[in-house]
Parts: sequence; structure tokens; C-alpha cells
Amino acid sequence: MQKYDDIVVGSGISGLTMALILGMNGRKVLLLEKSPRIGGSVSRFYKKGVPFDTGFHFTGGLHKNGLLYDMLSVLGIRDLIQPVFLSEENANSFFFEPEGRLYEIPYGLEKLKKKFKDYFPGEVSALDRYFEKVQQVCANTPSMNLQALTALHSPMNEDFLSLDEVLNGLTGNPVLKALLSGFAMCYGVMPKEISFANHSRMCLGLYESVARVKDGGEAFIKAFEAKFKSSDIEIRCGKYIARLEDVYNKKVGRFILNTGEEVTAENCIFTIHPGEILKVLPEQHLSKAFVDRVTSFESSAGFFTVFAVLDEEYDEPDFNSNILSIFPHTDVNQLLDPANTGASALVIIKSIEEVKGKIYKTINAFEPSFIEHVENWKDSKTGRRSQSYGDYKEERVENITGRIYNAFPRYKDRIKVINSASVLTFRDYLNSPDGSAYGVKQKIGQYNLIGKLPLRNLYAAGQSSLLPGIMGAMMSSFLVGRYILEEEQYNKFLSKSLS
Amino acid sequence: MTEQEIIDKTNKVFEESFEIEKDKLTPGAHIFTDLGLDSLDIVDLVVALQKSFGVKIRNEEKVRNIRTLQDIYDFISAIKNEDAGKSS
Ligand SMILES: Cc1cc2nc3c(=O)[nH]c(=O)nc-3n(C[C@H](O)[C@H](O)[C@H](O)COP(=O)(O)OP(=O)(O)OC[C@H]3O[C@@H](n4cnc5c(N)ncnc54)[C@H](O)[C@@H]3O)c2cc1C
Repeated sequence: MQKYDDIVVGSGISGLTMALILGMNGRKVLLLEKSPRIGGSVSRFYKKGVPFDTGFHFTGGLHKNGLLYDMLSVLGIRDLIQPVFLSEENANSFFFEPEGRLYEIPYGLEKLKKKFKDYFPGEVSALDRYFEKVQQVCANTPSMNLQALTALHSPMNEDFLSLDEVLNGLTGNPVLKALLSGFAMCYGVMPKEISFANHSRMCLGLYESVARVKDGGEAFIKAFEAKFKSSDIEIRCGKYIARLEDVYNKKVGRFILNTGEEVTAENCIFTIHPGEILKVLPEQHLSKAFVDRVTSFESSAGFFTVFAVLDEEYDEPDFNSNILSIFPHTDVNQLLDPANTGASALVIIKSIEEVKGKIYKTINAFEPSFIEHVENWKDSKTGRRSQSYGDYKEERVENITGRIYNAFPRYKDRIKVINSASVLTFRDYLNSPDGSAYGVKQKIGQYNLIGKLPLRNLYAAGQSSLLPGIMGAMMSSFLVGRYILEEEQYNKFLSKSLS
Repeated sequence: MTEQEIIDKTNKVFEESFEIEKDKLTPGAHIFTDLGLDSLDIVDLVVALQKSFGVKIRNEEKVRNIRTLQDIYDFISAIKNEDAGKSS
């Protein structure tokens, strides 16, 4: 029977991070991935030679001494990740259809504040208070500080106030409220359901800087793979844990893989969706309270996605990678409500990609979507779905391309739609139960699954544990890594690269 | 909410969510040594109590100091009183 120090389940960005933290600290690690290849949401796919990203387009934190910058330094892969910063002046734009007005949002806190104040001269004090609160929350959050990491901090007031409540207390301006809560598209929770604290933790990084990464998510995967070589990390794809055996004193002794093979390990860290973790845990060792807690987690928003490319001959000298969000109205709660039957928000992300010397200008477009939208075909599998599902997809693609043309009339007849994905596509591709983009919905007062599970040598990390996005997912692995390595070893590990 | 209602509802959480026999549920019962919970069950307990009483419990010092069932009854009744104070 093969023996490991740790098993890491799932090879998305959190599983890769987890495996590397443990491996770099001299532990023998087995990384299990259910899919044929590693990467999860950060994997890229190529269709007709054109590269597209599954679930990583841009991020904050890559500026010098930003949180992501620091994590990459600690992991020794910072040199392998090349940030491509978006235009400072208008990285994010929001277009409100009824007003017909475009708001260009820069980054850099001071710049950002100034721009908001220029747009809303009557709201200067509301804006000052908003940004002050955001910064205050983040400064007081230990899980945003690699050196002070802990999940067990005393929650603050803002953990129990919704984003809506705080914004309503600051301003009555619906456009301003929508602009400030528009970043909810980056975590997929309604402003009335997310805490102001978690909203702040997700947004501050994007207020400071917004960058893509050269070669997208693939750059991360390649960097991790390169770094894995100098540690004792074994990757196995197409493998997952089928059963847990020899449970004594609430500890698992043997892990039985889907192939029948048995392995032992001191710890096993799950970086997968909590609903998927529950499927692996033996029921007789769980309290009903635990099962109820996990099954009551809801899904964050997912996206119906269109992957397109501009015609090669079409030359647009100032084609840039900025992000445009089109909102049909200012009610962000409605835009992220699974029951919304009206117009959707649409986020358009452009990017210039180079493959073997050839340049592609890609356009990815995202409409929030939920498993409820595809209820009819929920029991079907990729490649074997009915005609009516095909029709559903076609209709959404047509509608989205129409909206892209509205936003960029010059692209009419110059775009080729290469692929599209519903939440079912994401669900099946990522082995998640609901195809959501950000794991479980982060609701006010919720207690996430993070760290030790009811069987004491099993742990939970991943995007549902702390916060979503690649930063939140990676932070969860640092947090659990610190726990497993214990403080002294972890601090030594950090101090090698951070001073 | 009367004290008895709080006791009944709390005990029901222990019976149904942690499958603990009714006759063990005395006010002085120690939740770890007598009822067999361990520190990691506390989060699940808090979530179950939140749901059952329709209150928000913050993970504060007070939760960490809970040892007996009576501690929980007192804790819930304090939260309930606070809530009642707010809405009146
Ligand atoms: C359309 C879309 C756009 C997004 N855009 C951005 C963005 O621009 N910026 C950003 O920061 N974030 C973005 N996100 C979110 C980001 O991708 C995620 O928060 C993050 O990558 C999640 O990482 P993870 O490791 O926690 O989970 P995942 O990436 O989901 O990885 C989990 C892995 O576990 C595997 N797995 C599942 N079950 C098992 C099992 N039983 N055994 C073994 N393996 C298993 C899965 O196959 C998968 O590989 C986006 C997401 C989507 C879907």
C-alpha cells in the first residue's frame, strides 16, 4: 500500500497551491484530480487553435506586494507569471442601458475615488465613507494577511451587515449603488445577501489593480507543474477517492481510490465543492447537524458564456483588454437572482492572445445564469443532450452576440462564435454539483467549511471555504497549510521569501 | 419565548441533530464530557441553533465558553431578550 504524508483532492488553483505548500515543506503529496487533466477552473481550452479560459480572466493583487504577488513569491513561481495590467484609466466600464451612459472605472484607490467623485459630485462624503469602510474591513481581516492568517478571528459588525444595508445607509443614488455593487459579478452573490465585509474583501484587490495574466490560467498550471518537479508531489488524473476505510478515533486509516487501489496518508485535504466532499464522507460518522449545515449551502451565480474571436483580417489598432459590464437596470439584486426572467447583465471581456506567433483577439461574454435555468436538462451529460437544449443554447448565443454588436457596432459580422457553455457545461467539466462560478454562495452569517472536517485528519479548503476567485481560493490553501505545517514551520516557510 | 420553550427547543436540537438520548439532556450535562460533542461540533451546533431559533449567533467569546446545556439556555435567552429589546 502506497504511503503519503498528505492527499490533496482536486487540482484547481486551490489544490495546486495546497499541494505545493505541503511539497515545498518536505511532505510527500498525492494530488488527485477526477478530470483527465489538472487545473479545474483555471484550465484553458483550444478550439480551432484559439485559446479560451474556462474561469480565469483577470485578478487584483498582482501589483508589487499585493496579496497574490506575495503568494506567488512564497510559492517560488512569481517569475513564471507575467501580469498584463489593464488600462489604469478604464479597466472596468459599466454601461447602463436605460440611461445610455458609460461609466469608466479606473484602478488605484486614489484615482478610483476621484473618478467616482467626478461622476457623483453630490456624494463625496458617502464615497469617502464607503472607501474608508472597505479599507478598514480589510485591514482588520487576518485572513487577508499571509503572516497573520487565521479563520478564527472575531467577526466584525460588517460581517453581519449586508452590502445593501450599508450602501442604503450611505446614499440614495441608485446608479452609484449599482456601480459599487456591480463588482458582485466577481463573486456571484446578491447585494442583499453578501456581507459588506466579504464584499470589501473581494473588491479591495480590484480597486488597487486589475491584471490579466499572459497565457491566462495555463500560465499558472505550467508554473505549478514546473515547481512540482523539485518536490515529492505525485499527480494522478482520472482518480478520486471512492471510499474511506478504517475509521478509528475519528481518523481515516485507508483511502480507497476509484481504481480499487488503496493508499494511506496522515492527512487528506479536499479542495472541491462542499457538496462533493459530503459524498465522500461516511455517513455513520457525521452528525445530522453537520449534514444539514453542508446541504443548506446555496449556489453562487454561474455564467452562460460565449467564446468568440474577431476575424483575423479585422484590424483594430486600439483593441484593448478592458472589461465592459452592461446592466439593463440598476437593480443588482435582480440581476443575480436565479428567478430573474427579465434582461440579464452581460460582462464582455476582450483579450489579445498569442499562440505560436499568431495573434488572436478574443471576446468572451458572460451572462449570469443558474442551474435553475437548465432544470429541464439537468440529468443529461455533455455530448448527449437533447435538441431542446441545443435550441436553448442557440437562442442565448444569438441574444448575446446581438448585445455584443449593440455595444460594439463595428464588430458586426466580424465575430466568429467558436464555442458556448451553459452552467451544465461548467458543472460537468468542473465536476461541481451546480456549475456555479464561485462555489457556494457566501451569505451573511454563514459558517463555511474550512479546516478540519468531522473526521479529524480530513480538511476542507478551496473557493467555497473562504472567498472565491483565484485569490480567495489560494488564500484558503495558505490558511489550511499553516494549520497542517503548524505555525513555526509555516512562518519559516514564509520568511524565506517575504521579509 | 419562555424559558421552558428555550429548553425544549435546545434539547430538540441535541436529540435530532446530534442523536443524543433524551434522558441525558439535563441542564448540568457537559456538552463535551457528558454528551460526547467535541470542539469541532460547536460550529454545527451554532448553525443548528441559529436555524431553530431564527437568530444570528456570532462566533464570539461567549460561544467558546459554553460548557453545559444550562450555558446554552442562558446564552439563547440573552440573545432572544436582546432581539426583543430591539424590536419593541
Ligand atoms: C466563467 C467563470 C469566470 C471566472 N472568472 C474569474 C476571474 O476572472 N478571476 C478570478 O479570480 N476568478 C474567476 N472565476 C472564479 C475562479 O475560477 C474560482 O474561484 C477558482 O478558480 C476556484 O478554484 P478551486 O481550486 O477552489 O476550484 P476548481 O477550480 O473548481 O477546482 C476543483 C477541482 O477539483 C476537481 N474535482 C471535483 N471533484 C473531485 C473529486 N471528487 N475528486 C478529485 N477531483 C475532483 C475538479 O475537476 C476541479 O479540477 C471564474 C469562474 C468561472 C466559472
